[in-house]
Amino acid sequence: MFETLHRYRYHYLMLLPGLILGGMFVFYPIFAACYYAMHDWSGFNSDKVFVGMGNFVKLFTDPIFWDAFQRALIFLLGTVPLQMTISLVLAVLLNNQLLKMSTYFRTMIFLPVVTPVAVIGIIWTFLLSPFNGPVNGLLLDLGLISRPVDFLGSTDTVMPSVIGVYVWKWLGITMIYWLAALQTVPDDVYDSAKLDRCRGAKLVWYIVLPIVLPFAVAITLISAVGALNVFPLIMSMTNGGPFFASEVMEIFIYRTAFATGDGSIPRLGYAAAAGVFFGFVVLSLTIGQAIATRRARAGAKEIRS
Amino acid sequence: MTFAKTGLSRRAFIQGTTAVIGAAAFGAHRAAASVPAPIGDLPKGVTFRWIDSGDQKAVFYKKFFADYAKDRGIEVVYDALPWNEIAQVVPLGVRNNSAHDVFALPQNVNPADAVAQGWVQPYDDFIPDIATWKASFPAGAFLPGINEFDGKTYGLPFTSNKRYGTHLLYNKAYMTEAGYDPEAKPLNWTEFRDAAKKITEAGKGRYFGFIIGGNQLGRWSQTVRNMGRMAGASAGGDSVIEADIDFRTGDYVFDSDAYIAAIELLIAMQADGSVFPGIMSMNAPQARAYMPQGAAGMILQRPWNIGGWEGQNPEFDFGVSSGPVPDEGPVGKLTIGQGALAPNTMWLFKGSELGPIAGDIFHYLGTVEGQTAWANIVGAGDPPIFPEALEGAEMSYRSKAILQHFNEAIRVGPNPVVGNSELGKVIGAFQAPEVNFARTVQGLVAGELKGVAQEMKGLKDRYNAALDAAFAKAKADGAAVDRSDLVFSNWNPNEDFGAADY
Repeated sequence: MFETLHRYRYHYLMLLPGLILGGMFVFYPIFAACYYAMHDWSGFNSDKVFVGMGNFVKLFTDPIFWDAFQRALIFLLGTVPLQMTISLVLAVLLNNQLLKMSTYFRTMIFLPVVTPVAVIGIIWTFLLSPFNGPVNGLLLDLGLISRPVDFLGSTDTVMPSVIGVYVWKWLGITMIYWLAALQTVPDDVYDSAKLDRCRGAKLVWYIVLPIVLPFAVAITLISAVGALNVFPLIMSMTNGGPFFASEVMEIFIYRTAFATGDGSIPRLGYAAAAGVFFGFVVLSLTIGQAIATRRARAGAKEIRS
Repeated sequence: MTFAKTGLSRRAFIQGTTAVIGAAAFGAHRAAASVPAPIGDLPKGVTFRWIDSGDQKAVFYKKFFADYAKDRGIEVVYDALPWNEIAQVVPLGVRNNSAHDVFALPQNVNPADAVAQGWVQPYDDFIPDIATWKASFPAGAFLPGINEFDGKTYGLPFTSNKRYGTHLLYNKAYMTEAGYDPEAKPLNWTEFRDAAKKITEAGKGRYFGFIIGGNQLGRWSQTVRNMGRMAGASAGGDSVIEADIDFRTGDYVFDSDAYIAAIELLIAMQADGSVFPGIMSMNAPQARAYMPQGAAGMILQRPWNIGGWEGQNPEFDFGVSSGPVPDEGPVGKLTIGQGALAPNTMWLFKGSELGPIAGDIFHYLGTVEGQTAWANIVGAGDPPIFPEALEGAEMSYRSKAILQHFNEAIRVGPNPVVGNSELGKVIGAFQAPEVNFARTVQGLVAGELKGVAQEMKGLKDRYNAALDAAFAKAKADGAAVDRSDLVFSNWNPNEDFGAADY
C-alpha cells in the first residue's frame, strides 16, 4: 500500500487542495449541522444541551414545520412542470436555426437568469403592487378584474405569484439545458424521419423526445433541487408572509435559527435539525436523479440504435 | 376601492425611499458639535469599530465619527444594520473574536447573559472619576442587573426610554379636508376610522386613509399594544417576559377588551377599504416612504420620521399627535421599563483593546455638551437621556410637540429585573410561541385567522405556557425566581414607579 501511495504521491498531492476546500466548506458544515441538530442551543451562548434526537422528534410533531415542508413541495410541484413545459416549447422553437432572431430571443429569455435574485424580487413587488402596479393596471384596463389584486399580500394569491416569478426568472436556464439536449439528436435521425414523412409534433413526440429523455430526467431533477432553494426570492418578495402563507422550508429554518422577530431566543439546534432533514430530502432527489438518468439513458440508446 | 393613476410613479417612490434612507444616512441638516478634548491618552493609527441599528442615530454618528477620527488620528468604521442582521453579525463576531469594539446587543440577548458569557467588558477603567460622571445622569439610568453587574459599569445608557412607536403622523391637507385637526384634539378610535374612510373617499383611489408596514410583524403588535394600553389595558414592560403583562396581577392582557377592540378596529378599517392596498407585502420603511408622496393620509409610527421628512421632504406638510385614544373614559398611560432605552444602550466588546477610545466617546455622550449635540441632530427620534439637553436643543415644533406628548402619555413602570436580577435567566430561556402576538394580529387582519376573542384567548394560553416553561427552565438552572416576581401590586399605571416602590 505504501508503495502505491509513494508511486502516486503527486496525484494525491493534487487532490489535497480540493479535499481541504471540500472539508472546510462542504464536509465540516454538514457534520457541524448534524452535531448542532442534536443540541438544544440558541447559538448565542455556550450552553449547549445534548438532546440526541429530541429536536427531530419535536420537529416531526411541529405543525408549522410540516406546513412549511408542504409549501416547499407545493412550490416544487407548481414550478417544475411549468418550467419544463414552457422551456421545452421555447427550446424546440428556438432550436430552428432558420428562425429569424432566434439568438435575440434566446438572449432575452436568458436575461432574468443572470439578474440578481434580490433585484428580481424587489422589482416584481413593484410590478405586482396593488397600488399603481403595472400588472394590476393592465388587468384593470383589460377589464379582467374590477379592483386591484393584492398578489403578494393575500394568502390565496401569494404562492401562485411567487411561483410565477420563479418560473419567469429561471426559464432561460432550463431552455438552455433543453437546447443542449436537442442538439445531441443526430441530423441523420431527422433525415430518416423526414424520409418516413414524420414531421412537426409527430417528429418531436416520437423521435426527438425519446432521445432527449435522459436529459429530461436530469433537467427535471436539477430544476426540482433548484425549486427547493428559493430563499432569496421569497425573502425579498414576501419574507414568508402573510401569516406563513409563503413560508417554505428554507424560510422556516432561517426564521427559527436567526430571525425570531419577537425578541425571544433563536433555536439554532432546532433549525439545524430542520436543515439536516431538508438536506436528506434534497439528497434523496439527487440519488433519484442518478438512478433515473441511468435508466433513461439505457432506453434512449435502444431508440438511437 | 378603485385603481387609479396617481402622482406616485415608480421613480418617485424610489426617490422617496432613497430620500428617507438618505435622511438616515447623510441628512445632517444641522452640524454635529465639535469634537471634545480627549479624556486621556488614546492610541493613534488604529481602526475603531462601532455598530448599532442606525436610523436617525446614523445621522449623528456619520458626522461625529468623521470629525472624531480626524481629530484623534484614527479610523472609525460605523456600521448601521437592521436588528435582524445585528442578531447575526454580533454573535458571530463575538464567537470569532472579531466583533466591533462597541456594539448594540441583539434584542434577544439579555445583558446578564452577555456579561456571564464574556461578550462584554466594563468600562469603569476607561473613564476617569466615573462615579462623578455617572452621577450626572438622571436617576435610574444605571441599574444593577440592567447595565451594572458586580459593581462594574457595562452598558452606556445615553438615550431616553420615553417614546413610543405608534403615534400619529398625518397629511395635514387630507386631514383638514376630512374635517379633523388632531393637533388640537387627538383622534379617538371612531374618528380615526372615520378620518381614514373620508380621506380614502376623497382620494378616489389616488390615496388612502391609513398605511402600515404590515409585512414587518412588530408593527402589528406595537400598534395593538399601544392602542390597547391607551384604551385601558394596563400592560407594561419592555422585555419579552413582561410586555403585555398587567403587573398588578402578573397575567397577560392579550384577551382584554381593549386589545380585542383595537384588533377589531383594524379589521373594520380594512373592511372599509380605507387601508392602503398591499400593506401585507410592505415593510415599515416602505410604508413611511409613501406618506410624503401623498399616497396615504395617516400612519402610526415612530418619531424619527419627523426629522427625516423635515430634512428631505420640506414641502410635505404633516402633523403629529397622540395615537388614537378611546372614545370614552380616561386615556390610559403607556408603560416603559425603568432605565434607559435598552436597544440604544451600547456595550464594549470583551475582546476589544480600544477601551480608552470607547471610554472617550462614551464620556462625551454622557455630558450635557454631547447630549445636546445628539438632541440637535437626532431630535425626537431617539431623545437624549439628559432632560437639560432637550431643553437646550434646537428642534422643530413637531419634535417638541411630540416630546411633550411623550411626557404626558408615558409613565415608568416596574422593571422586574431590577426587583430580581435572576429574572435575566428567565428572559434567556423564554421561547415565544411560533404563532406569536404579532403574527396572530397579522393573521386576523389578513383574514387568515377568524374570531378575535377566541384567537386572543388561545394566544394568552400559549404565552402563559411559554412563560411557565421559561421559569421552570430557569429554576432548573438554579435561579431563584418565581412568577410572582412579575407582580407589583402597588403599581399604579398612571404614575411613575420609582426605586422606592420596589
